[in-house]
Amino acid sequence: MAEPALVASESLAGCRARAARTVLGQVVLPGEELLLPEQEETDGPGFAGERPLRLNAGIRTRLRVVCGPGLRRSGDRLLVTKCGRLRHKASGCGSSGGIYWVDSQQKRYVPVKGDHVIGIVTAKSGDIFKVDVGGSEPASLSYLAFEGATKRNRPNVQVGDLIYGQFVVANKDMEPEMVCIDSCGRANGMGVIGQDGLLFKVTLGLIRKLLAPDCEIIQEVGKLYPLEIVFGMNGRIWVKAKTIQQTLILANILEACEHMTADQRKQIFARLAES
Amino acid sequence: MKETPLSNCERRFLLRAIEEKKRLDGRQTYDYRNIKISFGTDYGCCIVELGKTRVLGQVSCELVAPKLNRATEGILFFNLELSQMAAPAFEPGRQSDLLVKLNRLLERCLRNSKCIDTESLCVVAGEKVWQIRVDLHLLNHDGNIIDAASIAAIVALCHFRRPDVSVQGEEVTLYTPEERDPVALSIHHMPICVSFAFFQQGTYLLVDPNEREERVMDGLLVIAMNKHREICTIQSSGGIMLLKDQVLRCSKIAGVKVAEITELIQKALENDQKVRKEGGKFGFAESIADQRITTFKMEKAPIDTSDVEEKAEEIIAEAEPPSEVVSKPVLWTSGTAQIGEGIENSWGDLEDSEKDDDDEGGSDEAVILDSVKMDTGVEVSDIGSQDAPIVLSDSEEEEMIILEPDKNPKKIRTQIACTKQEKAPSKKAVKKRKKKRTTN
Amino acid sequence: MEGAMRSDDKVCTETGIESSSRGPGCSLRHFACEQNLLSRPDGSAAFLQGDTSVLAGVYGPAEVKVSKEIFNKATLEVILRPKIGLPGVAEKSRERLIRNTCQAVVLGALHPRTSITVVLQVVSDAGSLLACCLNAACMALVDAGVPMRALFCGVTCALDSDGTLVLDPTAKQEKEARAVLTFALDSVDRKLLMSTTKGLYSDAELQQCLAAAQTASQHVFRFYRESLQRRYSKS
Repeated sequence: MAEPALVASESLAGCRARAARTVLGQVVLPGEELLLPEQEETDGPGFAGERPLRLNAGIRTRLRVVCGPGLRRSGDRLLVTKCGRLRHKASGCGSSGGIYWVDSQQKRYVPVKGDHVIGIVTAKSGDIFKVDVGGSEPASLSYLAFEGATKRNRPNVQVGDLIYGQFVVANKDMEPEMVCIDSCGRANGMGVIGQDGLLFKVTLGLIRKLLAPDCEIIQEVGKLYPLEIVFGMNGRIWVKAKTIQQTLILANILEACEHMTADQRKQIFARLAES
Repeated sequence: MKETPLSNCERRFLLRAIEEKKRLDGRQTYDYRNIKISFGTDYGCCIVELGKTRVLGQVSCELVAPKLNRATEGILFFNLELSQMAAPAFEPGRQSDLLVKLNRLLERCLRNSKCIDTESLCVVAGEKVWQIRVDLHLLNHDGNIIDAASIAAIVALCHFRRPDVSVQGEEVTLYTPEERDPVALSIHHMPICVSFAFFQQGTYLLVDPNEREERVMDGLLVIAMNKHREICTIQSSGGIMLLKDQVLRCSKIAGVKVAEITELIQKALENDQKVRKEGGKFGFAESIADQRITTFKMEKAPIDTSDVEEKAEEIIAEAEPPSEVVSKPVLWTSGTAQIGEGIENSWGDLEDSEKDDDDEGGSDEAVILDSVKMDTGVEVSDIGSQDAPIVLSDSEEEEMIILEPDKNPKKIRTQIACTKQEKAPSKKAVKKRKKKRTTN
Repeated sequence: MEGAMRSDDKVCTETGIESSSRGPGCSLRHFACEQNLLSRPDGSAAFLQGDTSVLAGVYGPAEVKVSKEIFNKATLEVILRPKIGLPGVAEKSRERLIRNTCQAVVLGALHPRTSITVVLQVVSDAGSLLACCLNAACMALVDAGVPMRALFCGVTCALDSDGTLVLDPTAKQEKEARAVLTFALDSVDRKLLMSTTKGLYSDAELQQCLAAAQTASQHVFRFYRESLQRRYSKS
């Protein structure tokens, strides 16, 4: 839909396109165009006039670049469609390839295949459960998609229960479908979440931050109280500690992590550990 | 849009927490959330924040005829709107049960308690009184709409100033704010609603329930009271049985809360008045917290528009000159005018087709049009010559017909028939019929 | 309605003083924007231009009613709520203008069979209301993370009886103006997305206003950028 307009505007915007490498970690806005490292030499600001060089593009070794959330391909550039910080993860083979995406702080979830989410069962109809995951339509979950479930041995799931599952089908044109087993048929942590504990909502950006492999918050939280915790990529967190008081404290801390710098966070954790 | 469903585990956790006298946001049982009152630049405009619940209030006034049975009393009108902005489940333009209930409660709290002196709103008895309208918009719904709305309503009413009027004999003069300072409404007392949520059939009680607490509560008791501890209205919903002691206890708590809130309101009103008097900055822009990272302000930005004229000239010079199609409006008869020529010179066409299968009445009209056409001959001929190459054969015949309107209808029909053969016959026939209908 | 009229007048007296200190008209009033201030909508923003203030909330991509479902793109709805009384024809016409502008930049094809709803609440009107609505809508859409091809902004110009151009006019200036023109411009090419005008003006004046709006839009977009950079400063 957008393509013709974009191609037309490219020549105008050409002088304003910035190299993706230089804006890594910075805030990008919808409408900005990014140059991939391989194009910088030819298409960079200084060389905007030397367009014909692009004819040689075929000779250069093509690198595999993946457009993550918030980015779209327009011609051979990247068009930003969401506001947030630009991130990059290098692929194994080269320095300039890899995944680019925009880290935004939105609240609304859009199902993505492979995401682990927390859903609320809203209806049982025949062989499937309808699960609210916060997207634009409820996901379907087969009663056979649980560990050890057979036609005779149905899982005990009631309306209103929490489900931790994974998307196997999620695209813009189809109803999303969840399962609570991995490819080997094992639960692997998924399934119905226990009956107590607290569920609360945070932004999707915070969930990604918390689930990042180098995130210290989880370790720090773990030192405070013994706890059980589940993160859903759809912005839902389920937490359970020994007492209601502790559960509430944990929920409030995690919510507050959204707008705290590392230093502020450490201070608060230190104060809590004392008390 | 549907509301996100409440999971069993949230429900259970909330109830267990309430049993342990704990609340999600760390409040105690009888605590209110933070109340923030900010005023707009207009009089009678305020935003009340009760925790995350937000209500915008605006008071306006109008001179109207009074109600027949109350000739000397002004009219008070309340309207609370649940905008979709506040929660996805609120649909625009639908009067839900909740909305009706809230509006009714507000009326009982503020109108029926006679907190505003309606007789002072009378200008000429039986003829002109002030109608005071209070519009309340819910901007964000995080529970306890009624308390926030009642605070917003009374704050907006206290803040409001109506234009001054004077009556000399029959004449009513309305003064602008420059001529005479607008006057405040006379307010006898300030009724404020306090909500109590009951859980487990009335065993547990919470003041100022938030949205999640409201979803698991069994019943709600709303007490409207002023700072003199006079109860203005009381409403219990949800079908819980309350003991006399419980109601009495609630009214005592309400008394304390109302006193606190009234003090807060008065302080906020005084602050705003002071700032206005001193000529400082006021309005919503001033009430936005600067230190939040989600906010940003920019001072007045001068913009260099010196090259604007040059740019405009450039663009106009580059652009092709506009085609000279500007035509003067032509007045056919009184009440019928024409601007421009339309796409085809269909006026002549139309009259033919009308005539060809019609009687004398039709031709009469044609004569009128004919003569006018001659009057405006200069313009029409211009267009006619342009169009001529396209409908060569047609135009000749048409001219003939127009000039001789009394011709035998039969003859015309044959003429048209031959033109039909030249052009696409079926289409033209349809066109003709349509045109006939429009002209008749 | 007398009340509304009166309060408008009041605003004018205050902003009137301000405008005299504004010099020869070509400046934007002070801007302020707060994002993510409402907890329920997916995105929200309050936008203030001088004393004009609009609050916007965005839901989306969310579930859509079957009757409004479009199979290959998102259904975009704009609801504009006046401060006093019920929405009328003026609001409906503005809703349409804003909706068409949003439609031009929102990449609806990425979320077929969903709804994107923009709810706008007028908080105070002290001139350039439509422009402020557009700016609030844009910031709320950005806050909600709705995919967009470009940002957009609204700029209002007023032409005096003697042809002087005033940007971002106050209510008083709008009332005295011979013509009031509002443009919506996109951030990539600064091209026109929407325009609506009232009053008489020549083609040269139209181009002047447009050129001035384009210059002003740079300031607005810089304001957008700085406020968003501030917002993401801690992530």
